[in-house]
Amino acid sequence: MSSRPAPEIQLTIDGKQVLVPAGTTIFDAARVNGIPIPTLCHQQNENPVGVCRVCVVDVGQRVYAASCIRQAEAGMTVKTATEQVQGARHTLIELLMSDHPAPCARQLHSGDCELEHLAAVAGISEPRFPRRTTPRGKDDSSAVIAVDHESCILCDRCIRGCDDIRHNWVLARRGKGYQAGIAFDNNLPMGGSSCVSCGECMVSCPTGALTNKRVVGTELGQGDVLDPAELLHLPIFENVSGTFLELNQKAVVKRRFRAGEIICREGDFGSTAFYILEGKAEVFLSSPIAHVKTQGSSSGFFSRLKSMLSAREEDSRSEESYRPFIPIDASVDLPYDNPIAGLGPGDLFGEMTCMSYYPRSATVRAKTDCVMLEMLRNVLDILQRNKTFRAQLECNYRARALDSHLRSVPIFAPLTKDFVDHLRDRVELMRFSPGQVICRQGDAADSFYLIRIGFVKVSEEKLGGELVLAYLARGGYFGEIALLTGSPRTATCTALDHVEVVRISAEDFQLMLDKFPDVRHSLEATAHERLEENRRRTIRTENVPVDQFLAQGLMEAQSLLVLDLDRCTRCDQCVRACADAHDGVSRLVREGLRFDKYLVATSCRQCRDPLCMVGCPVGSIRRRNTLEVIIEDWCIGCGLCANNCPYGNINLHPFPVEVDDPAHPGRRIASVKVKATSCDLCHDHAEPSCVYACPHDAAHRVNPPEFFANIIQPQSAATKARS
Amino acid sequence: MFDELRGIQHEFGYLPPDQLRRLAAKIDVPLSQIHAVASFYPHFQLTPPPQVDVRVCADMSCHLRGGVEVKAALEQAFRGASPEAVSIRDVSCLGRCDQAPAISINDRIYCNVQGEHTAAVVKDLLSGGALPEPARERRRTPLVSDPYKGSSNYSVVRRFVETRDWAGIVATLKASGLRGMGGAGFPTGSKWEIVRNAPGKEKYIVCNADESEPGTIKDRFVMENAPWLVIEGMITAGLVTGARRGILYIRHEYENPKEILREEIDRCYREGLLGARILGSDLSFDLEIFVSPGGYICGEESALLEAIEGKRAEPRNKPPFPGTNGLWNQPTAINNVETFAFATVILVRGVEWFKSQGKSGSAGVKFVGISGDVNRPGIFEVPMGTKYSELIQDYAGGVLDGRALLGFAPSGPSSGYLPASMADLPLDWNALAAAGSMVGSGAIVVCGEGRCMLDMALNAVRFYRNESCGKCVPCRVGSQKMVEMLTGWTEGRASDSDLQLLSELSFAMKLTSICGLGQIVPAPIQSVLKHFPQVVDEHVKNRRCPAGVCVPKRETA
Repeated sequence: MSSRPAPEIQLTIDGKQVLVPAGTTIFDAARVNGIPIPTLCHQQNENPVGVCRVCVVDVGQRVYAASCIRQAEAGMTVKTATEQVQGARHTLIELLMSDHPAPCARQLHSGDCELEHLAAVAGISEPRFPRRTTPRGKDDSSAVIAVDHESCILCDRCIRGCDDIRHNWVLARRGKGYQAGIAFDNNLPMGGSSCVSCGECMVSCPTGALTNKRVVGTELGQGDVLDPAELLHLPIFENVSGTFLELNQKAVVKRRFRAGEIICREGDFGSTAFYILEGKAEVFLSSPIAHVKTQGSSSGFFSRLKSMLSAREEDSRSEESYRPFIPIDASVDLPYDNPIAGLGPGDLFGEMTCMSYYPRSATVRAKTDCVMLEMLRNVLDILQRNKTFRAQLECNYRARALDSHLRSVPIFAPLTKDFVDHLRDRVELMRFSPGQVICRQGDAADSFYLIRIGFVKVSEEKLGGELVLAYLARGGYFGEIALLTGSPRTATCTALDHVEVVRISAEDFQLMLDKFPDVRHSLEATAHERLEENRRRTIRTENVPVDQFLAQGLMEAQSLLVLDLDRCTRCDQCVRACADAHDGVSRLVREGLRFDKYLVATSCRQCRDPLCMVGCPVGSIRRRNTLEVIIEDWCIGCGLCANNCPYGNINLHPFPVEVDDPAHPGRRIASVKVKATSCDLCHDHAEPSCVYACPHDAAHRVNPPEFFANIIQPQSAATKARS
Repeated sequence: MFDELRGIQHEFGYLPPDQLRRLAAKIDVPLSQIHAVASFYPHFQLTPPPQVDVRVCADMSCHLRGGVEVKAALEQAFRGASPEAVSIRDVSCLGRCDQAPAISINDRIYCNVQGEHTAAVVKDLLSGGALPEPARERRRTPLVSDPYKGSSNYSVVRRFVETRDWAGIVATLKASGLRGMGGAGFPTGSKWEIVRNAPGKEKYIVCNADESEPGTIKDRFVMENAPWLVIEGMITAGLVTGARRGILYIRHEYENPKEILREEIDRCYREGLLGARILGSDLSFDLEIFVSPGGYICGEESALLEAIEGKRAEPRNKPPFPGTNGLWNQPTAINNVETFAFATVILVRGVEWFKSQGKSGSAGVKFVGISGDVNRPGIFEVPMGTKYSELIQDYAGGVLDGRALLGFAPSGPSSGYLPASMADLPLDWNALAAAGSMVGSGAIVVCGEGRCMLDMALNAVRFYRNESCGKCVPCRVGSQKMVEMLTGWTEGRASDSDLQLLSELSFAMKLTSICGLGQIVPAPIQSVLKHFPQVVDEHVKNRRCPAGVCVPKRETA
């Protein structure tokens, strides 16, 4: 039985008799009869809320009615544009304009800010009301949407889009009265909230409060541009606003690869991620898995040293990590002894390259003919926040990568399959944006974290500033100390870039400790080491007067090569000795900062804040407990650490190797591969070659706090005496 | 949700983010919605509170009677104290206008305070002392109107159980002319009839005991002295309309009345007057007390309903009205405390008795609060038709210190201010309406000679600005701009076009705001412009305050 159409009612709008179905709003009744009423908070696809009041009309009552929400009544006489109604409307627009940063971002980019349009129509250029004096702030934390609270008119369109249309329930009002605003979750930055980047809020916003961020300076390779309808057809784009996809249309392409074709190469810089729609690919490292070993060719004082590539079995180094898996920027890890793995439909790779512009961590080759989506970070962000996609990604991770990820951390090697299965559905994948605190010093500890993607800075808050304790990369873990000791967090852990961690609850962590005493012992040992190391550093820092010493950044150093300029004759023997010792590539430059009569030569300072460790796409650079930098076997020679070192102390060393011939699969050809090296203190010798070679006893390798303390203290005392 | 939030706040002193996250998971409500609510109500703290949180009432009566001085003394005493230790802030009217100035320290209310003494209390607290017990008065004042003279037997409820004569009750109320005592003045009999006739699975009776308007203290008095009249009124409304649940919505600062009501409700349950099978009949009615999480806007009836539903107390667009679409979208009769009390009085004593209580041609009796510059501030039960001059002189002991009357607000900020020359107006709905004011909630605030009426207008507008919920543009932005403009006037920064702009702004706010709060914001300044034009002129044109109250800020570039 069909429902009967609503009975029609008759009313008068601006002198015109109109007939509309009962239940029609005055706004709609006027609209269908060719009488447009201006509005800001109302749009057709959302339930009316009547908050901007711009659409008010005179219905012959004590006060005006908001036409967007007031239903037409039989016999009603509506006046939509009397002088008084227009005057009130004018005042409302002028009120809003007095707090509006005209031109707002939307007006600047696309010239269609609805408020500024209404103001222009009303002839309001300079609002007469006092301007807002308290700033409301901007939020730049989302990769895809720029938030400018200054432009927000609290029309609730974004909120209704988020809650009523998309059922995401991330947006709501916050505060009260003039201090009210919009908030994501409990007033978090948008990027750090549970926002799924569906874009509905942004396409709903009438002003520049929520605008689309464009990715600038990046280009996509060849491929087919997809229209929003095609994208929406893919389940992973479910519930994303079509308008939003249209705005980002050029940020994703569909690419086809033939079997055998290389999709990306390790070490290359890039800005895209790939999502496999069809076909299979393999991901592998083409760099030799070996480290740089320097050896004396003969005995004697001026022995030549020789650098060569040396595999783990041939040259076992102290404190080397025996990771069974090499972490890469994909949903799988590579086994150390055979670094190759397969990827299939639903897999994503290149997340870190795309989000944080790190070099590619591995080479990916099409195994069969493949169809992939290649995307820029705005589209990747949309996907990563999409519930369907997240679920798929997490499912893949739990099923395939959790094992190898856990096992890539040596201390977890004893975990049994049963236990990993127990964890499988219990671990939580959490994302953090750059700068976001993952856990804070002093807080109660409720979880243990394993890094899946990105870099985490571990630091201690001290009087007078922050002391960086470590940078942790993929495969790194943190949060164990507080859980082991039952104390509050001993350090603050902050996401340096786009970070994803695997969270293991305190409860499961305890269960693991109880079941696997070996894991407990290793963790306790690590925790003890970490604490001891922190304590040692703290003491070293506190015992040194810091004035200009700090200003030169020398405090950062743990070990310095200093040249006593009173003795140095600039003969460059040190540099030559270093080159001789390292296949003709010197790791030492006789230039640098001067302090008192000392030249601090450019060689690895083993910084306290080792920037070189941030960004290694395969996590192969790390430090020994002595703070000496160590570069692990699976270095792919991308050079990022060398770029990151502010002192130019990491070099790329070329080595001849044989690689697969890309033109003739199966054939090997001669090629050159580079590996990063830094000062290794010539540790096969009793002392560094440079120090040894100096004929004037001018070169010394020193511990800066101890060495400079003696120089600074007399100076500071003298300064004080003068003043 | 409010109970959960209160629990967290009780445990941690505020609402830590991780606790909110946990609560979201526990009660399955999005975190954004919990935050939206928690950040709306002044009662909830999202950041750790200071060790001593002093809030000084800044509104009309306290503003007149030393609130400003108390705050200045405290600020002086704790200059340089860390914000984690002491915070001294304004607070909106605490409902102790008869005992001004009032303050709250760590959420406990103290009345008739002095700056020095308060500073000593705060110092003691900082050094580990305990909060002094606030003076608590439980002496009851017998009400002249109370037909039960202190020992109620709920005769109206008993009679209804026998007769089921709902039509008779509605007719009696209509005949008495009883209307809403909260301010709007809607006829009570008609309201109950609308709810009775409205289709709905459930119906509700709500008592609005959230009186928060500066000067308004009479509901507190009624609840403390004749709680049975209120409760019987609610039960009767439930029986008449067919509602089976009643909610008494009380402001959280009313601890004492809440306890008194609680005791009376318990008694009713014991005696079978509440609950299932009232007095053994097939009728039922349950009554609970809902403590407001705070804010004047909750007194707006639809905002109050939103608050009960656990949302931000933002007024609804009307129509539809609560009579048909109220709590949980069901028919709801929502009345003020005094209205329920008088409904009971009328139903016991009859229409004739009620009408005969008035004088000079007005019918009925009314509770009024008189505060501000008077010798004996308090709450009085007075015949309708009494002149305001008599109320001030005979009931409240005349203007303070023998000063002459300058002006008065018949009903707090909402009524605007009337000049002394209009003090002979009778307490009468029509007479006040004709004078462009209103009897409203009977919150009479008196200003003696020497006050600056522009300062009083700014004070009233600032109250509305502080209490605006922010839902609609005219009230949210307009009240702020109005405060800024008026502040400019009091500080000697007026521009020639300001009067025109203020008039445009007042018009827009009055005509386009969603609720009564936004619509009434311009009333105080409009009344001062009308009745005290020379005061405004002096400030705006000559940049001086004739009373010497407004401190002109030094002209800055």
